[in-house]
Amino acid sequence: MRILKNLGQALRGLQLNKANTFLMTLGIMIGIASLTVIVAIGEGTKSKVLNRIANMGFGPESFSVYSGAGRLFFGRNRNITSMTLQDVDDIRAMPGVAIVVPRQRKRMRIINKKEFTTTRVYGVSPEWQPARQWRVVDGEFFNDMDMDRKRKVIVLGNTPAQKIFGEMDPLGKKIRVGQVFFEVIGLLETKGLTESGYDPDDRALIPLTTAMSRLFRQTHLHSIKVVSTNSEAVRETMEGVTQVLRRNHGLSPLADDDFRFVTPEGIMQWVTESEQALNRMLLLISTVSLLVGGVVIMNILLVSIRERIREIGVRRCFGARRADITQQFLFESVLVSLLGGVMGSSLGWILSSSLNHFNLLPAKITWDPFVLAFGFSMIVGLVFGIHPARKAASLSPDETIR
Amino acid sequence: MKISKIIEIDSIIKTYKNEGLETNVLKGVSISVDEGDYVSIVGPSGSGKSTLMTILGCLNQATGGTYLLDGEEVGKLRDSELSRIRNEKIGFVFQAFHLLPGVSAFDNVMMPLIYCDKTPADAKERVKQVLIRVGLEHRMSHTPGQLSGGEQQRVTIARSLINDPKIILADEPTGNLDSKNGAEIMSVFDHLNAEGRTIIIITHDPIISEHARRILTLRDGQIVSDEINENFKKSRAGIARVAVK
Repeated sequence: MRILKNLGQALRGLQLNKANTFLMTLGIMIGIASLTVIVAIGEGTKSKVLNRIANMGFGPESFSVYSGAGRLFFGRNRNITSMTLQDVDDIRAMPGVAIVVPRQRKRMRIINKKEFTTTRVYGVSPEWQPARQWRVVDGEFFNDMDMDRKRKVIVLGNTPAQKIFGEMDPLGKKIRVGQVFFEVIGLLETKGLTESGYDPDDRALIPLTTAMSRLFRQTHLHSIKVVSTNSEAVRETMEGVTQVLRRNHGLSPLADDDFRFVTPEGIMQWVTESEQALNRMLLLISTVSLLVGGVVIMNILLVSIRERIREIGVRRCFGARRADITQQFLFESVLVSLLGGVMGSSLGWILSSSLNHFNLLPAKITWDPFVLAFGFSMIVGLVFGIHPARKAASLSPDETIR
Repeated sequence: MKISKIIEIDSIIKTYKNEGLETNVLKGVSISVDEGDYVSIVGPSGSGKSTLMTILGCLNQATGGTYLLDGEEVGKLRDSELSRIRNEKIGFVFQAFHLLPGVSAFDNVMMPLIYCDKTPADAKERVKQVLIRVGLEHRMSHTPGQLSGGEQQRVTIARSLINDPKIILADEPTGNLDSKNGAEIMSVFDHLNAEGRTIIIITHDPIISEHARRILTLRDGQIVSDEINENFKKSRAGIARVAVK
């Protein structure tokens, strides 16, 4: 096949002009490397967020409503005190609602003798456990009686338990949270660190009533978790909750909500949106860098054709058609571009791995950027090679051998 | 034996246009060359030799006149057709060799076969044979940079022979060589002609043109003389004796 022979000549041409070949690959290499790294960071961030969702104990039939306006975890105003137990009672009375868990939350220092650590302390109702489906491996979870009596009992996650008790058995021990002493009555099952470094075990749970009157000394809630009877009813339930909360909080029809929903769907949507934004940026960056790389290839090829004008002339003298010359130089451009793509992918892979290894940024290596790199560099080679290749072919043979 | 005409050009005109200025380089040149002939075209610089050679070699097309090459009218052919004819019927030998730099003698000779429609199955064997033919069997893997001028010119002759062309077209083939190497190269041409190959040499050097049977003199774009070389028979006899030896 003649086209294969032209490919062979192109390969040889690149071998013989190593310096030019290297220069031509540089632009593409940098473009593809940055593309690979950006994709890896994007994927890394995405998987971090997805991990987080997985560790929030969301099922498709549950959602949370947080105090304060805003989106998801990004509340605009942290001093909203409008969410109360009245809201919880009203939501619980709604049809289609299975479990309602009111929550208070604060980061606090917990102390066992001389050992101490800071953890997230939640004041929750006993329904927290069935709603969250998080097993207690040692001891037990607090019950309605503990709630009613506002008893000072605490259930520890594995992380604070390890930090302040080490090898000792924490059950039955007294620990101090802020200025108040609590008895450890249970230990939560260990979930382990997520890939992204989020630690779901870093928490401690106390009865909500105890938190309200003895520890946090506040009546307003941080959030309410709602589990509906089935996942189809979620949307309807959320609308009901909105009405209840707006009425209870005395919001006029024109006022904005002073609460926000966190749903698995909402989180997914947010992830998708940020991913799309990232992808647009990515497309822009890689387009610009690949365009630059392409222009570099085109210019060096044009110069190289000037240097190799004799070669072209001799080939033409011995029977090369214009198409053969075009093919040869187009192949050179595509091959050089692909080579740049391969080098760029490798460089990008190394960079992404080190970002991850040294914990600078979450980076996850996937196949997509490599496929993209192949496609992009092929296209760049074709687009920017066509002009030099045609120029080489248009040289008249009698003038090129003088 | 009927001798067929390999080249018949009639009233060839070539005009170059440069910034509105027309230059008539060839002003009605007519030549016919028999198959197996040994022709030299001589003339001072500016006489149109090189232009005539590019037209004979199908590297360029005439502005007027007709050109029959091996019975085929090439004056109006498309570029790809001309490429095919150059590939099949013409072997070029250049003054400056024009070998592909960095490529072995073997691959340089192989190059025209890339552009055949069908690469012969015995391509490698053929390359070897022509390199042996020009006495370079021990230099096949050397690149042009590792070869002397005379050796490089032998490679270009081997390259011109690889497709078994009807005509060898040599443009000042000894111009870049010393007289000893030049003489050796000319003897290669003499032998090729003795074997029946048509050879056209373009030169300004009378010593070179003396090798040919027929000497055409070009001046100011026209043929001014067309002579049979008296000394040819003698030198030919010499070659025949060498060949017999």
